[in-house]
Amino acid sequence: MAERESTDFLYPFIESDERDTAGLLADLARSADAKAVLSEQLRAATLTAYADALAAAATAMAERFLGGGQLFVFGNGGSSTDAATIAELYARPPIGRGFPARSLVDDQAVLTALSNDVGFELVFSRQLIAHARAGDIALGVSTSGNSQNLMTAFAEARRRNLLTVGLAGHDGGGMAVPGVVEHCIVVRSDSVHRVQETQAGVALDLWDRVQRSFEEMSHR
Amino acid sequence: MVDHDGEPKSGEPLEHAADSQPRSEALGDLAQDLASTSLTLARRFAAGATLWCTAPAWPAHARHIAVEFVHPVIVGKKALPAVAVPGPDPVGSLRQLGRPGDVVVAVAAADDPVVADVMRRAGAWGLVTVWIGMGDRVPTGAADQVLWLPDVDPLAPYGGRFVLLYHLLWELTHVCFEHPGLLVETPESCEVGEVCVTCSDEGRLGEVVEVGAGDEASVRTATGTEPVDTSIVGAVLPGDLILVHAGTAITIVDQG
Repeated sequence: MAERESTDFLYPFIESDERDTAGLLADLARSADAKAVLSEQLRAATLTAYADALAAAATAMAERFLGGGQLFVFGNGGSSTDAATIAELYARPPIGRGFPARSLVDDQAVLTALSNDVGFELVFSRQLIAHARAGDIALGVSTSGNSQNLMTAFAEARRRNLLTVGLAGHDGGGMAVPGVVEHCIVVRSDSVHRVQETQAGVALDLWDRVQRSFEEMSHR
Repeated sequence: MVDHDGEPKSGEPLEHAADSQPRSEALGDLAQDLASTSLTLARRFAAGATLWCTAPAWPAHARHIAVEFVHPVIVGKKALPAVAVPGPDPVGSLRQLGRPGDVVVAVAAADDPVVADVMRRAGAWGLVTVWIGMGDRVPTGAADQVLWLPDVDPLAPYGGRFVLLYHLLWELTHVCFEHPGLLVETPESCEVGEVCVTCSDEGRLGEVVEVGAGDEASVRTATGTEPVDTSIVGAVLPGDLILVHAGTAITIVDQG
């Protein structure tokens, strides 16, 4: 990999003969298009491969919501922001029915207190201990499927009879091991970016299925 | 092939197939917009800028952009200064935090009043602006760079389309860093016979900071804070946007 030192831009004479801005822009545009195509292909392939699993997860989640359960969503880094977006979609959707849902990454006081006092691997599980009841739902998002704080949170969630749902990437990591997460969707790509884009698409598809399942169940 | 990000590609077997197509319609004109925005961003970073991210309706998107640049997912890529604008008042925060030459990127619909206000004032603070959105497009000139998705589905902000856009922005910005010769901005030269705003000081955007005695006000422009004569435009208030020419306020652009 031809990675440069961060100070290289201070010495433009190194490649001062490079003046083909138009060529670079054309390369960039082609690259963007190619990556967008890949992203769309990965999303479509994942939704096809996991159609039955998503239907089953949606039914189980709708049952929990119907029974008064609430949804806790969590993840780290970029996945924490995607978790927050998922929680927002469930709680305050632009269309459709809202459900009690929130992200476990929104409160800096809680996150830093738990990280400082008991360890970062417990930041989500300790919040579940405080807030979760049997019948609730735990939804964790990870590109590797191996984040330790997600693994401990899923273990705690199962102990408390929460429904567990996972969005993982790569080969699914620890989250894909049978018994760890009841409904685990694995986005099979090694690109963290493409995984996150597809996880968002999967989350939206799942939400749409939950909406429909809930409507069907509530009219029975 | 400009992608040298060094990550394993086993999950992306179609990369080369997609590359070999002369033109896909995946992004349309947006691909060019992403390219020029990325080059602008790389040039600003190279000059020492900070990227300020704001998304009042979807704060998670602003945080995702910031963490993308600060903590790259690909080992070996340099950490770049990007910050999700803190607090409930992006205009007030950016007014204090933004330095001339910085960049502000917003993810917002065209009718977001807070982001519109940020974009309106950014010129007076010396900030370069990028507006990412979807649905009805913002008018031309609403931001220096506009990255707009045609989607009108209200659920689209939740389905990964914005995520794709700012991921591509990050990826392409880092490709630009592999071309240091192109990261130096050459000042645009004056066309003979035309009025050059920069050279003639025809009218620079300024934001009134403080109203002084008589007809004088302290005004912030892209080049700093300066005393300005307001006798032509009459009374001004802090926060008013004005055009400044040769030390004199010639028009009130926007009040408040």
